[in-house]
Amino acid sequence: MTTFALIFTLSAIGISETVYLIKMRLAAEEPVCPIGGGCEAVLGSAYSKIFFVPNDILGLLAYIAISVISALLVIEVGAENFLSLALKILVALASLASLFFTYLQWRVVRAWCFWCLMSAFTIWLQGIIILISVAI
Amino acid sequence: MSKTSFHILRVGLAITFLWIGVLILKQPEAWGGYLQPWAAGLLPVPIEQAMLGTAILDIVIGVMLLVGWLTWLAALVAGVHILIVLAVSGITDITVRDIGLLAGAIAILADSWPKKNY
Repeated sequence: MTTFALIFTLSAIGISETVYLIKMRLAAEEPVCPIGGGCEAVLGSAYSKIFFVPNDILGLLAYIAISVISALLVIEVGAENFLSLALKILVALASLASLFFTYLQWRVVRAWCFWCLMSAFTIWLQGIIILISVAI
Repeated sequence: MSKTSFHILRVGLAITFLWIGVLILKQPEAWGGYLQPWAAGLLPVPIEQAMLGTAILDIVIGVMLLVGWLTWLAALVAGVHILIVLAVSGITDITVRDIGLLAGAIAILADSWPKKNY
């Protein structure tokens, strides 16, 4: 259960972070950028959307799905194998997407966005936790 | 309270409420065991149903705090809820931690209370 507790907690942090970014975007305000100072450049770049869907929305949906699945696994509603596989696939896809977005910040946009990096580390940490739990 | 510390407290309290809600959903009857007999006797519904209601309330409070929607209301309900929990379960080795949660809820309530615009 510790694995799911950690994943649930990290997802909740991800939800709060993406909701903050969505609120700022809808209010046409700049988010606080504590480290790096490149949030505006990254969040306003052409890569901030995938097929017209803002990345913050995609991130929010991913975090909600991950938190719901980990909660269902804790409650033991059944279909554990399916839910566990879905969780692993979701975290793996999100980790790859985060890797791609981090590369874009590094090489293409050439600016670092604190919130994007925080989200990437959140997802990667979830992936590491899953890998450790599988290995143990 | 600074903006950063407010948000850290808000998200931390949100995760606590969400997680407790999930844990109660997992074993509602076990969590019902924390109720003092006099309090359990006052319940108009079976203890399991009462605990399921508590779990849903905890999750709703957690979601509201997490997304920052009507934060003051969520903190108010959270504070009242924790006071009731302390009253019906007594202050034990476990529920003593609720005093910290209560203080956190009051701090968020004080900071997010809607201000009148004169």
